Amino acid sequence: MNEPILSVRGLSKTYMQGKIPVHALRDVSFDVYKGEFLSIVGPSGSGKSTFLSMIGLLDKPTKGSVYIDGIEVTRATDSDAPRIRREKIGFVFQHFNLIPTLSALENVDLAMRFARVPKTKRRERAVELLTQMGLSDRMNHRPSELSGGEQQRVAIARAMANKPAIILADEPTGEVDTKTRDMIVELLRGLSENGQTILIVTHDTAVSARTKRIIRMLDGMIESDTKVEGY
Amino acid sequence: MFDIIFRNITQRKLRTGLTIFGIALGIFAVIVMGGMSEHFNQTFDKSISLTADKIRVFPEIGFGGGNLNESKVREVKRVAGVADAYGVLQAALDPESLGFFGGDAVIGVDPEKFPSLLKDTRLSEGRFLAFGDGYRTVLGSSVAREFNLKAGDEIQIKSKRVQRASSITHARNFTVVGVMEYTGSFFDNGVLIPLNIAQKFYDRGDTVSFILAVPDPNVDAEDLSKRIELNVENIKTFSPEQLRKQIEQSLIVFTLITISAAVLAAIIGGLSVMNTMLMSVSERTKEFGLMKALGAQTQDILYMTMGEAAIMGVLGGICGIIGGGALVYYLNDFLASKGTVLFSVTPRLLVISIVFSTFLGVLSGLYPAYRAAKMSPMEALRYE
Repeated sequence: MNEPILSVRGLSKTYMQGKIPVHALRDVSFDVYKGEFLSIVGPSGSGKSTFLSMIGLLDKPTKGSVYIDGIEVTRATDSDAPRIRREKIGFVFQHFNLIPTLSALENVDLAMRFARVPKTKRRERAVELLTQMGLSDRMNHRPSELSGGEQQRVAIARAMANKPAIILADEPTGEVDTKTRDMIVELLRGLSENGQTILIVTHDTAVSARTKRIIRMLDGMIESDTKVEGY
Repeated sequence: MFDIIFRNITQRKLRTGLTIFGIALGIFAVIVMGGMSEHFNQTFDKSISLTADKIRVFPEIGFGGGNLNESKVREVKRVAGVADAYGVLQAALDPESLGFFGGDAVIGVDPEKFPSLLKDTRLSEGRFLAFGDGYRTVLGSSVAREFNLKAGDEIQIKSKRVQRASSITHARNFTVVGVMEYTGSFFDNGVLIPLNIAQKFYDRGDTVSFILAVPDPNVDAEDLSKRIELNVENIKTFSPEQLRKQIEQSLIVFTLITISAAVLAAIIGGLSVMNTMLMSVSERTKEFGLMKALGAQTQDILYMTMGEAAIMGVLGGICGIIGGGALVYYLNDFLASKGTVLFSVTPRLLVISIVFSTFLGVLSGLYPAYRAAKMSPMEALRYE
């Protein structure tokens, strides 16, 4: 097989809770290849969110390294981190995290602004992505005027804006009803079938069941790593 | 990026409005106080340029405190290098109500010396005083406006004479024969009367308040000033340069007082910008964290927050200038009818105000912007 898009090697994270060390992650290693659609599941406190923030450069590990597209992101300096975040990673959050004062279109546009994409190209791409998400008639609405499902689709469009190597989704269906949940998972699946690598962190088994690979975590370690058959 | 800054500013209208108002008040103070100090500077500049060629000779004991006998005029005139010398008697127009900043003054001069005293100042109406004029007067433009007088009208002048332990006030009407054009100097507040009449009216015998000595052409005023002091007893001279220095010194103090009061007001405005920005940054903690997660660089966030503060500063500055300008305009209009003008809003002052308010905005946005920029995206996104 070709080079992995995401490669995790011996990742460990220890927090100090007062004077007691808490091992959120212990020596986690695995590889993710292009176009994979995988989920990380596990009970609260199993280390999955910590893990996601390490990959997303939002936090630094105590030990070990993460490579995205061949770059060791865990070694990135503070000044390099923004560039890696916008070029390699697309985030989708549980609470959508759209900027409330900006319209759907502007929210997608904003991600590309930071990447210094020229204005006309930004607009073109934002319209294209929102249309792809089925939001062509909602582009000028603000987040408060959109349903949860619509907001999450705007967030996915935003994550896709800079053509990231990998999309990291943290409980993307945590705040929507089951029907919307299914729709969002299908949407992400569709994207992965087009070659987009997507990693979902969830504790909803109905979501993980639809991904193609499930990594189960427990107490900061990988308990199991299974390929889902039938897809 | 500018559209986002603008959006953020208009998002919180009341808060932005109050902040801008705070800055505006500060700049308002800068305009009003600064305008006052600019006006004084201008007046003194013009006054000095009118009298720049003359050496002032005062009695040795204090300014206007003592009197000079007119015989000193002849002594001064005899000093080599003096082209001409003449006495001037100066008194307050109304000794019972001394105006703010000096007020109007009666100036008694020999009518023949008027061209030397006033240089090329012209009359807007009537004629100058002539030899042999009695209780007649030529008014400065501000005095004429204050009392609404024209040539042919009468003006009342009061004198206070000390008789034994009590003082008696005499009043007498003088006929206005001419009104001078606006000069922008202290002559605008002058009531010019013949010297001999002034001496009689104020019961000053043959004394004068000070003597003006005109140097010969090509004679250095500084040297001459020293020579006069050496040759004439019991006098003190002020060369044009000394006078300028003296006035500049007192103006510096005045300017410092007014400017520091104005700056204080503006700094308070700046603090209100900082407060607003800190509030708005902490409100948008999550937003900034998110932007960082989306790959925003530190400078992107600095630009956004400082831009917001700077715009508030500029808007506040503009509002302050408009408000201050309007007040100064109407106040000057009102004061002109009372015979004085207090403010001048110069281009220099406008530039200083707008630069200062922008600088203030940026400066007070600095710390909030720094807070926003150093926010960890992780912390920010966890924060609900």
